Amino acid sequence: MVKTWLVKRSPLRILENALQGGLGKGNIAVLASRKGIGKTACLVHIALDRLFQDKPIIHVSYASRVDYIITWYEDIFKEIMKNRDAKAAAEIHDDLIRNRVIMNFKQDAARTERVLQSIEAMITAGKFAADTIIVDGYDFAAGTPEDLRKFREFAGKLGLELWFSASLRGEEPILDSKGFPLVLRPFLDEISVLITMVSRNDLVRLSLIKNKDAPAPGELPLKLDPRTLLIAE
Amino acid sequence: MKTDILNKRNIGISAHIDSGKTTLTERILFYCKKIHKMHEVKGKDGVGATMDSMELERERGITISSASTNVEWSEHSINIIDTPGHVDFTIEVERALRVLDGAILVLCSVGGVQSQTITVDRQLRRYDVPVLAFINKLDRVGANPIKVKNQLSENLSHNAVLMQFPIGLEDDLRGLVDLVRMKAVYFDGTDGENIRYEDIPADLINEARVRREEMLDAVSMFSDELMEAVLEDRVTEDQIKEAVRRGTIRRKLIPVFMGSAYKNKGIQLLLEAVVNYLPNPAEVENVAQAIEEEGKEVKLAADPDAPCVALAFKLEDSSYGQLTYIRIYQGSVRRGTELYNARTRKTFRVGRLIRMHADKMDDIEEAACGDIVVLFGIDCASGDTFTDPGLNLTMTSIYVPEPVISLALAPADSKSSSSMAKALNRFTKEDPTFRAHVDPESKQTIIQGMGELHLDVYVERMRREYKAEVQTGKPQVAYRETIGERASFDYTHKKQTGGAGQYAKVVGRIEPLAEGNFEFRNEIKGAKIPREFIPSCEKGFRHALEKGPTIGFPIIGIKVTLVDGLSHDVDSSDIAFQTAAREAFKQAYHRAKPFVLEPIMKVSVEGPAEFVGSIFGSLNQRRGIIVSSVEDGLFARVDAEVPLSEMFGYSNALRTLTQGKAEFTMEFLKYGKAPAHIAEALQNEYEEKKKN
Repeated sequence: MVKTWLVKRSPLRILENALQGGLGKGNIAVLASRKGIGKTACLVHIALDRLFQDKPIIHVSYASRVDYIITWYEDIFKEIMKNRDAKAAAEIHDDLIRNRVIMNFKQDAARTERVLQSIEAMITAGKFAADTIIVDGYDFAAGTPEDLRKFREFAGKLGLELWFSASLRGEEPILDSKGFPLVLRPFLDEISVLITMVSRNDLVRLSLIKNKDAPAPGELPLKLDPRTLLIAE
Repeated sequence: MKTDILNKRNIGISAHIDSGKTTLTERILFYCKKIHKMHEVKGKDGVGATMDSMELERERGITISSASTNVEWSEHSINIIDTPGHVDFTIEVERALRVLDGAILVLCSVGGVQSQTITVDRQLRRYDVPVLAFINKLDRVGANPIKVKNQLSENLSHNAVLMQFPIGLEDDLRGLVDLVRMKAVYFDGTDGENIRYEDIPADLINEARVRREEMLDAVSMFSDELMEAVLEDRVTEDQIKEAVRRGTIRRKLIPVFMGSAYKNKGIQLLLEAVVNYLPNPAEVENVAQAIEEEGKEVKLAADPDAPCVALAFKLEDSSYGQLTYIRIYQGSVRRGTELYNARTRKTFRVGRLIRMHADKMDDIEEAACGDIVVLFGIDCASGDTFTDPGLNLTMTSIYVPEPVISLALAPADSKSSSSMAKALNRFTKEDPTFRAHVDPESKQTIIQGMGELHLDVYVERMRREYKAEVQTGKPQVAYRETIGERASFDYTHKKQTGGAGQYAKVVGRIEPLAEGNFEFRNEIKGAKIPREFIPSCEKGFRHALEKGPTIGFPIIGIKVTLVDGLSHDVDSSDIAFQTAAREAFKQAYHRAKPFVLEPIMKVSVEGPAEFVGSIFGSLNQRRGIIVSSVEDGLFARVDAEVPLSEMFGYSNALRTLTQGKAEFTMEFLKYGKAPAHIAEALQNEYEEKKKN
């Protein structure tokens, strides 16, 4: 009950509608912003939304330690469940843990093939039927379009949605005239959906820059609440 | 020998099993001139390392007991407590940690930080033990001490600082660069006993400068004097040592040393570091609890002339009778004087007083605070506190986890029966996580412990040391029962047929309790139940919890609230209220949605990354929830939550799946709801048992 309500009322439905029903299997979405804007919080919010729908997710992290990621989930979960029945929250929490696996890699030590092998092993040998993979902390500046192509083929093969974060560094401008991050240009063909997050007047605005083959609407009626770090209208 | 407390060190050597801990201990004993010939753990010469004194340990190549050994190094008296590395014997490690003032965390330069390292590290944190790291096995193929140092920082969040780096690695390991002295150090002679200091080789001088700067950066945080000296470029060795010492003792810094125990490289510098950087007993605050003042904490003084307080932390059987290892925290122990055992409230006379080397002993006349010594033929249990008569203090009890697994034992013949009893008596005294009792219904002897291997080792020891042939049943998981909902009771116990009657009425509710096993509240207004019978009610409820009606295991997580009741002037009694409470509980229990709980273990599997698929699969088959998987290129660590009942035989299964290259540790995490089919099976089993 509580879960259905949470899913229905989630501001993420706005994003889903903008994407004509969602990202879709075999596709890669990238959430790009400068460091410290709240990409991880957004990804975790998206992951929790899946978990509320009883959809298992794998959270792949290239940068953070496992306990750090778990803390993110706990914090965002607590925010979402604020003012709700503690018993219901505890039950939902148990389900979440059952449906979430965290996989941690070092990008310089684990090649993309190795990472994909391990994820596949988790889904097949580990019988963990994930359909969404969160990939946080992947360094696009150090990666190649070839790597991302492998990710996309993998997503197609196993019917997965892949949500990446991309950290934008360096001096302005980091975006081109169409709002597309310069560092992601070589990866354009592999990315189906691109969302940028820009901080303006103490608010972080989400903009849909690439929307599969459909026209991209640009700024979405979504922001990241700087206090709760939740995506909100 | 009487040594000033400032020149004493009590240290442990904590590590993962294959990091070469026992070999390292052996080398330390050698350099301290206590033994004249070195052996290896898995003894090619068949003698075995000296610290590995138990026959069983010899065979398995692991150290199970924590024997304590005294050595001398540059006018310092060092007690070394050899702690076991296997998680199944965790209590042994914890008990050893309790009496340590500092520890050497040994890491393998190839394997690095592994799951057992993490367990050991957590234990060291729990007891606030200052730590030096020693990266061993630099001679091994694939040795990478810098990687291991980084793992200390990244995986264990330690402020790890390199104090040395190697000259050559693997086959080519020649010596070390000492970043404090800024010298190259070589270990000459057949046993590396001659230390030679040279200038740092030209090709390493740049690396040495960079690393020294890193070291100074980290270390100068702990000394303004050093920080100033660094800025003015006039740093002395003493300034560095003082700063490292401060950081280490405060547990804000872990200085990292390295070498190869097997190749006799780096050990003397490690001993020097123990003396320089680990605290003396006076630098560690210890407290005892005053028994008559509800456990009020009393700070102990590291003063040899103060009244004596000592802790018995280890018992051992020997041909001379029971050996009791004690750590003296305050005052002194003298031969011929009397000590008081705070638990048994008995006084005893100190007969022989011994300083121990693994299998050899020196008689001494007295020992003072900070010392670890051995008493002979004292009747006591592990964890007992000894004081001068007149003091009534107890050292904080050592954290003892609840056992999660049990096993039925039956002696094969009558001779074995008495030796089995003797063995059990001994083991339960030695190890608080090992328990034994006779089941009142089946009349079987049941032993309980922390894991399959833990119990295996004791059964094995019974056979070897006590010649007790025993048959064992199937290991049994410690299930529990609990309730899911609140339910009320209203029960009248009435028996008024002839003789003295019985009358008691209790009204109230039971409900789930999130934390703890049992809570009792009395909310009766007025004196409807006379005050003296309230404890009778509580006793009755407690009794009802001992054996749950569903599967016959204890019930946990229950809060009972008494709201009303009635009594009879003549017919109410202690027994009547106990019975009423027990029956009232049963009445409510069935309506409170009871369910079965099973112990869930936190399991960590570690192995080469190529095997993650097999590891995932094996955990999934065992109803495991995989929490995370961490890969750093070559190695992977998978953390999961798995029901204990599914973990039987896992070590064999894992060995088969991974060609013996993966290993696992587990510890109790929590009780979780058992799935319906398991609960049903247990229930049927219990019904069957009741019929017979």
